[in-house]
Amino acid sequence: MTSGIIGQDDPARRPFNGGAPRWSLWQPGNRHIFAYLLLLPAVLLTAAIIVYPIVSAIDLSFQKIKIAKLGRSRAPWTLANYEELFLSAEFYQAIWVTISLVATVTILSYVIGLATAVMVNQRFAGRKLARVLVAVPWAVPSVMAAIIWWWLFDSSFGLINWALVRSGLSSEMIPWLSTPGAAFFVIVVVMVWKGYPFISVIMLAGLQSIPLELYDAAKVDGANAWHRFRFITLPGLRSVRGIALILIMLWVFRDFPIIYILTGGGPQRTTQTLAIMTYQEAFKFHDFGFAAAIGVITLVISVIASWFMVRRTDEPLY
Amino acid sequence: MARSRTETVILYAVVIAVIIVLVFPLYWMINTSLAPATQLRRFPPVFVQPEPTFAAYESIFAERPIGVWLRNSAVVAVASTALSMFVSVLAGYSISRIRARGSQAIGLFFLMSRMLPSTLIIIPLFVSFRQLQLIGDLKSLVLAHATFITPFAVWMLKGYFDTIPAELEDAAMIDGCTPLTALLRVVLPLSAPGLAATTLYGFVLSWNDFVFARTFLVANQKAWTVNVGVASLKGEYLTEWNVIMAGSLIAMLPIVLAYLFLERFLVSGLTAGSSK
Repeated sequence: MTSGIIGQDDPARRPFNGGAPRWSLWQPGNRHIFAYLLLLPAVLLTAAIIVYPIVSAIDLSFQKIKIAKLGRSRAPWTLANYEELFLSAEFYQAIWVTISLVATVTILSYVIGLATAVMVNQRFAGRKLARVLVAVPWAVPSVMAAIIWWWLFDSSFGLINWALVRSGLSSEMIPWLSTPGAAFFVIVVVMVWKGYPFISVIMLAGLQSIPLELYDAAKVDGANAWHRFRFITLPGLRSVRGIALILIMLWVFRDFPIIYILTGGGPQRTTQTLAIMTYQEAFKFHDFGFAAAIGVITLVISVIASWFMVRRTDEPLY
Repeated sequence: MARSRTETVILYAVVIAVIIVLVFPLYWMINTSLAPATQLRRFPPVFVQPEPTFAAYESIFAERPIGVWLRNSAVVAVASTALSMFVSVLAGYSISRIRARGSQAIGLFFLMSRMLPSTLIIIPLFVSFRQLQLIGDLKSLVLAHATFITPFAVWMLKGYFDTIPAELEDAAMIDGCTPLTALLRVVLPLSAPGLAATTLYGFVLSWNDFVFARTFLVANQKAWTVNVGVASLKGEYLTEWNVIMAGSLIAMLPIVLAYLFLERFLVSGLTAGSSK
């Protein structure tokens, strides 16, 4: 530490007994020890509930181990889980489902989020209420979001089926959640509904930081609405856009409740993402070693994505 | 910039139409919860209840242990948030204020931990909790929820402490405070809004959890949280949608209220650690 020397002989800091300064945690030179003591409880807690579990998950992924044997003894070290994984069509299907879902939900949430943000950024009476209402689905817990839409898409008495049949768009009731393609569509709808407000709220904060004079100046120069959007609004949102997109992608990538409640990954694995596959292999098929291997791959992908997020930082963390 | 009358009309029409589409699912939820059960197995659907009934709410309290589920959710949320806040306040302050070797790396670790897939961490946690015989016990959830509340809280609090001028602590220390008492008596009272928001969001995160609660508690219905309980109402031979909607509304009410207070904190809190 370099900060310690100054002030060490400051009379005000000497012990009251006037004797030679005794060692004290509060001496400026010991400030780093104070820093470590403050960090200690958090480090101990996370070592127990995050670091140790990650290490033991990686360890599990190199063992061929079913649920019954867990915790009794360590199975021999093997690459079998990863070999099996890279040879299974199911794994590549899950990767494809994950990529399509992340891409679709992110693009739609971005478009709707940006559009609603621009909308409630206009000046009109009732704008505050409109801002709250546009953001409301954000507050709905994922479990409840899934349940609401489950009812709306219900195959026998759901409102959406009724509307489609009634309007003549469909000749029969669609069994949404048991039809490949349709089930994927339902998951996308639920995720976009729950995800767009997050983009909207962040984008609105970004929009409010764009100086209004820029728009006035552009109008004077004859720019039309599209040009103002294209050359002022979009560039002005650049700094918030990256982080919003990465956070939404990571959310879709890691989601469990929405897919699990609605389809459990089916039908025919058409909504089975890597996260759902990890869970099902562990808790439905009890193949913990294999599940851990998929989980480790999702961890690597998450770490890389969050690294990009951290790297976007303009300033150092301190 | 003045708008013409036509532009104003179009703007309002668009705003109202968009909001109706986006908020309709919530309206439909409320509408369904107030419907008599028989109405939900008939077409055409009833868009406005002529005689709203609270039968579904009475039924969920009479026939399901939703009171117990709500209490379990609350107990776990309070305990896991308290545990996480205790360690996070100290760690967040340390990372915000003191440059010590390694503390930047620790801060980075917390930042990355926010992105940890719960479907991975749940596997080793399940193994450990089974050995400790915590499966089916609410304590397992308290620890599991701390895995996602702590990393979030550390960064949200660090961001909040960053906004409090260090000169205040320096002044307090000249007046005889130790760094620890300066933290407790000067910094924490000034951070009250940030502490409140972080605590509330910790509570929300815990309340919203599904994967851990469903996996650790599935065999012990008395320990279910409200999310697991409400999700379990579907999947029986006859689905009473009015009861499910009533249960869902009760379960999400505390969270929706929390968000009304939290919104402005969350924009800065969620993006903490990245460019503004």
